[in-house]
Amino acid sequence: MKILSISTATSDLSVALNEADHLVSEKIEENQRNHSVDLDPDIASLLAENGLSLKDIDRFAVAIGPGSYTGLRVGLTTAKMFASILNKELVGVSTLQALAQNFAGEDALIVAALDARNKNFFAGAYRGKEAVIADGHYHLSELLEQVGALPDQKVIFAGSDFSKYQEEIAAGLADKDLRLAEGEENLLHAGAIGRLAVSAPVLDPDQAVPNYLRRTQAEYDWAKKTGQEFAADSAYVEEV
Amino acid sequence: MKEKKDIRILAFESSCDETSTAVVKNGSEIESLVVATQIKSHARFGGVVPEVASRHHIEVITQITREALEEAKVSWEDLDAIAVTHGPGLVGALLIGINAAKAASMATGLPLIGVDHIMGHISAAQLVEPVEYPALALQVSGGHTEIVLLKDPTHFEIVGDTRDDAAGEAYDKIGRVLGVNYPAGKTIDQWAHQGKDTFGFPRAMIDEDNYDFSFSGLKSAFINTCHHADQLGQELDKYDLAASFQAAVVDVLAEKTMRAIRQYQPKTFIMGGGVAANLGLRERMNKEIAALEKAPKVILPPLKLCGDNAAMIAAAAYNQYLAGNFADLTLDADPSMELPYAEDYK
Ligand SMILES: Nc1ncnc2c1ncn2[C@@H]1O[C@H](COP(=O)(O)OP(=O)(O)O)[C@@H](O)[C@H]1O
Ligand SMILES: [Mg+2]
Repeated sequence: MKILSISTATSDLSVALNEADHLVSEKIEENQRNHSVDLDPDIASLLAENGLSLKDIDRFAVAIGPGSYTGLRVGLTTAKMFASILNKELVGVSTLQALAQNFAGEDALIVAALDARNKNFFAGAYRGKEAVIADGHYHLSELLEQVGALPDQKVIFAGSDFSKYQEEIAAGLADKDLRLAEGEENLLHAGAIGRLAVSAPVLDPDQAVPNYLRRTQAEYDWAKKTGQEFAADSAYVEEV
Repeated sequence: MKEKKDIRILAFESSCDETSTAVVKNGSEIESLVVATQIKSHARFGGVVPEVASRHHIEVITQITREALEEAKVSWEDLDAIAVTHGPGLVGALLIGINAAKAASMATGLPLIGVDHIMGHISAAQLVEPVEYPALALQVSGGHTEIVLLKDPTHFEIVGDTRDDAAGEAYDKIGRVLGVNYPAGKTIDQWAHQGKDTFGFPRAMIDEDNYDFSFSGLKSAFINTCHHADQLGQELDKYDLAASFQAAVVDVLAEKTMRAIRQYQPKTFIMGGGVAANLGLRERMNKEIAALEKAPKVILPPLKLCGDNAAMIAAAAYNQYLAGNFADLTLDADPSMELPYAEDYK
């Protein structure tokens, strides 16, 4: 099974080609700002270098969230359209689960976290592929509390620049063997998405949306003001 | 003689709060048009919230792509190009259409065409009747008030523009003062027909030697009049207020557009955008144009084609297709894209 995987969830832009769970080829560009411009050309050259065309791909895999809202949509729109038009499979993989695979083989709890400002993080904790703290939107103090309650001794924080919170994290997890990932350890690899994609459930392209983990501020404000419940997304869009 | 092959274009439009796809043949024949509107969603917030708009666009994009093909009864092999609005508009919203179009182009090998949203609006005219060039367009909507010269099918230039508010925006703002829900244009238009121009609001820039507009002074005069009456405890007639406001807007739009028509001598005159639905404006333009010695053909696209839709984008893309103007996979959103200003723009 040939898998093309895409990540535009963070500032890294990565695409990869996997044959089942074996990585064939991967591209990764650090700190890219304009994924919309570079994604398709990167896919085109990845395919060309491997003598393949899009039609040869069996499964399209994408980092489905959390991450930059715009970035997630660039990747998922592209993957959804490929799968829908070519009638191939679409799968979505957790951005945080993919990040945690940078430490595959280490006997440690991996706390994968993306900065969501004001000391909030989109975060999850993983032992290997297994999620032990579900992906969610956490305040740092909340996250430290949950990690502290787990039995794991060795803990690695990855995915963001934690240096400014170093002391707070160390104080919150005083009895743990703690490490903050640095540099390349924080890169998000499409190859990891490809490997996880082998066992990920297949999605309907028409139904797939990013896993933002947060509604927009406007929606929270509206709900607070009116006391109304959110309707299903589809209730707000009508074909005319 | 060899028969000319039909050119079929699938277009995407997602610049604001409508996600739309369409298949159009030869830039003039609509084979399908799908429009998914988010009005209900944004009504919760009293205006379009960009992040919410982007979220809705991605929800429907694959489904409405398939529906456009099904409704047109064509498959990908029957198409000749894929087109998409790449600006102006909300960046996150534009990116859904752009990435969908690029992915479709990659998956099918069909060439890609990037379309300016305003050129799209004006090109809606060719879905009604053939446009003869040079043509002149009055594009009046909630976001734009422009007089545009169409030198040929792919060279559009601005000859007149608003210096502040767009005409539709002014309608919506004074509508709020009169307690009319957004968008207020249609109701104000109806009230205007039941009242008289008794307030004599200013006709800004009407005598200036250019084709530009300004509506913020009119809006302020209107609001001041209402506030002043409020303070004195007077009740003003809402129909006369609406009629006076509309007379001022229509006077400047018509006067300046007619002057531009006399200068540029277009073969076709096109009126587009939501405010082009205004009855007062339509009546006035039709009357003045009919009185011309050499009257241009007039095209007023129907309402469905005046709002944001992908059929107009496909129409504009057809002209670019014939001119050989294609985009590549690096096509990006340009949220503040503008048509060029004419050389003699004053
Ligand atoms: N009959 C009318 N008279 C005047 N303005 C109108 C009328 N109908 C609609 N409008 C105005 O048209 C605008 C919407 O047009 P549209 O082309 O959708 O604009 P945009 O996409 O730039 O917001 C609104 O400002 C609305 O008040
Ligand atoms: Mg528009």
